[in-house]
Amino acid sequence: MLPGGVFSTKYDSDLAILRTKTHWLLLGLGLVLLFALPFIANSYWLSWLIGLGITIVAVLGLHILSGLCGQISIGHAAFMGVGAYTVAILTARVGLNSWLCLPICGLSAGLVGLLFGLPCFRLKGFYLAISTLAASYIIIWCFQHFSSVTGGFMGLPLDPLRLGPIDLSSRAAFYCVTMAFVVVAAFFAKNVQRTATGRAFVAIRDNELAAEVSGIPVFRYKMLAFFIGCIFAGVAGWLWAYSQLRVNPDQFRLYDSMWYVGMLIIGGWGSTTGVFFGAVFLRLLDVIVDHVGPPLAEAFPSLAMQINVSLGLILLGLVIVLFIVLEPRGLYSRWEKFKAYYRLHPYAYWERQD
Amino acid sequence: MREEEGRNEHLGDARARHRAKGPRVTKALLVWLTVAIAVVIGVTALFALVPIEAREKLLRALVEGILLGGVYALIALGVVVVFKASKVFNLAHGGVLMFLAYFMWWLLSSRGLPLWSALIIMALASALIGLVIDRFVMRRMIGQSGLITFVLTLVLGFSVIQGVAILLFKGSPQIMPKILPAGSLSVGSLSFSSTRLSAFIVATVMFLIFVGYFRFTKGGLAMRAVSESHIISQSVGISVKTISAVSWVVGCLSAAVGGILLGSMFAVDTTLGSFAIVRALPVLLLGGIESIPGAFVGAFIIGIAESLAGTYIDPHVTGFRELLPYLLMVVILILRPNGLFGLREIRRI
Repeated sequence: MLPGGVFSTKYDSDLAILRTKTHWLLLGLGLVLLFALPFIANSYWLSWLIGLGITIVAVLGLHILSGLCGQISIGHAAFMGVGAYTVAILTARVGLNSWLCLPICGLSAGLVGLLFGLPCFRLKGFYLAISTLAASYIIIWCFQHFSSVTGGFMGLPLDPLRLGPIDLSSRAAFYCVTMAFVVVAAFFAKNVQRTATGRAFVAIRDNELAAEVSGIPVFRYKMLAFFIGCIFAGVAGWLWAYSQLRVNPDQFRLYDSMWYVGMLIIGGWGSTTGVFFGAVFLRLLDVIVDHVGPPLAEAFPSLAMQINVSLGLILLGLVIVLFIVLEPRGLYSRWEKFKAYYRLHPYAYWERQD
Repeated sequence: MREEEGRNEHLGDARARHRAKGPRVTKALLVWLTVAIAVVIGVTALFALVPIEAREKLLRALVEGILLGGVYALIALGVVVVFKASKVFNLAHGGVLMFLAYFMWWLLSSRGLPLWSALIIMALASALIGLVIDRFVMRRMIGQSGLITFVLTLVLGFSVIQGVAILLFKGSPQIMPKILPAGSLSVGSLSFSSTRLSAFIVATVMFLIFVGYFRFTKGGLAMRAVSESHIISQSVGISVKTISAVSWVVGCLSAAVGGILLGSMFAVDTTLGSFAIVRALPVLLLGGIESIPGAFVGAFIIGIAESLAGTYIDPHVTGFRELLPYLLMVVILILRPNGLFGLREIRRI
């Protein structure tokens, strides 16, 4: 819903993402704030923000695959791992430039995604989800057992990121790199949604048969969704590898894939803004677990050993379950209702008809 | 798939099962016969090919596979029951199984209860877990897409129940007190663990009890009716909600037995849940998710495949045994997504 007094008088203005001066102002302020944060935040929050940015890039890919095209993937963290391992292997063993590796990371993750997306030729719904679940384990198994290439359980170290003479290894510099990726990825994801391809994805999600009858080559578009989604994952993996400066199989577990799907659910399927909401929400829960765990461990010494691990699992899992059960449309729909309520304030509540 | 749609158009319901009874029985018989013949031929061929000194190794692998398969069948049954009643693919089964295995260990070792009272408490606890999941989570999800409930049970089993189990039972590996006889049995030159043999027997007996319940009792009939159609069942006076609750209780009971058996065969560990569900998944996919006989046959095939891989491929490729279930899942999904006995979904526009 648009604010009062804003009308679409031209096609261009109807299509625009940013409709009003306030939008532009907010965007500008947001960008300035985003890149000013390293001067304000301490290193804990900077690391948190870097992790958040990487997560957002990965979940944006999942959003294109699941939110738009309706093909769920429970192996997204593993696809991210493919990207991370690609850069680690190529820089350590071949000696390639790290920036040259970036497109290769995207491509390799995309191709692996295509491989495990192949069953979507015949399958849908949770059958496909099972195939990606298996993908998650198979990929991690490969990381663990092809140790001559991947370094086995120990993983591989990486050299800090450099861009020509500029050293990007400091937290603040790397934060800026990550945020640049987030902005580009968000812009791309938002625009995929608005192209013919994106509309084809949505058509497939809403009714596959109708989409096919309308002349959309369903299989090809599903594979395309897998490819694009996994490219995002690969790029996120590249960022992840440089944020940790070490890759090992433990970083890309099924849990992470599960949290990514959870972020999509908490944010609300099918909206780019929702991805941000979901990612921030779950990552904030992580912070809460970090801060609540130690006092709880002191309060219950008999549980001190396991309380941190189990608290994270229970809290995050429970939140996702509660969102699925109580608010399946996610935070994004709440946000829309909230905006509508304040725009219409003296008048009655208005619900979007869709 | 398209041709089938045409052929079944005159039938009321959109499922292949509603075809006339005659051909269905013949087809089922044919499939069974084919499987039996294939198994016999396969085993004979294997034996003919294998030199005499290696036969014992092969035979041991086969027996071990069959013994494993019995337990897998029981685990898979729990998922099938819930799926049939409410079309929920229950990935939380593994988590519940792991939790109950820890619970049994806790009852026996920490509380020191005698076996019979521990078993009664286990049955009550698993029924309670089933009822709670059904009433407070799954009842609200009626009518939601299968994908959402899939994610829901995934998160429930792998995260919430896992977390609770780690919180309560510390999450370190434990050894289940001896419930099943230990030691080893030998038949001829062949010796195998009697724990596994008794686990197999218990699992098969439980499996048959559950199957008998579906086949011969009124409650079982109601469950089969619900699995065909919720609306028709309700119109003839079957309470779908009750059936769904019963199916969850049965599912959790099978998880309890599976947990005790797996815990006795291996160790009680937090990875037991994913171990179980990862074995149940290819079993279900191979057998067809809606088919109980399918789960039975699938379980033996997967069990034998796993133990053969463990015997012959593991020495060359470390850890291949753990990888096999996942590979099988992907291969089955690509080649035969409805499994051997599953219903072909026929949709109408």
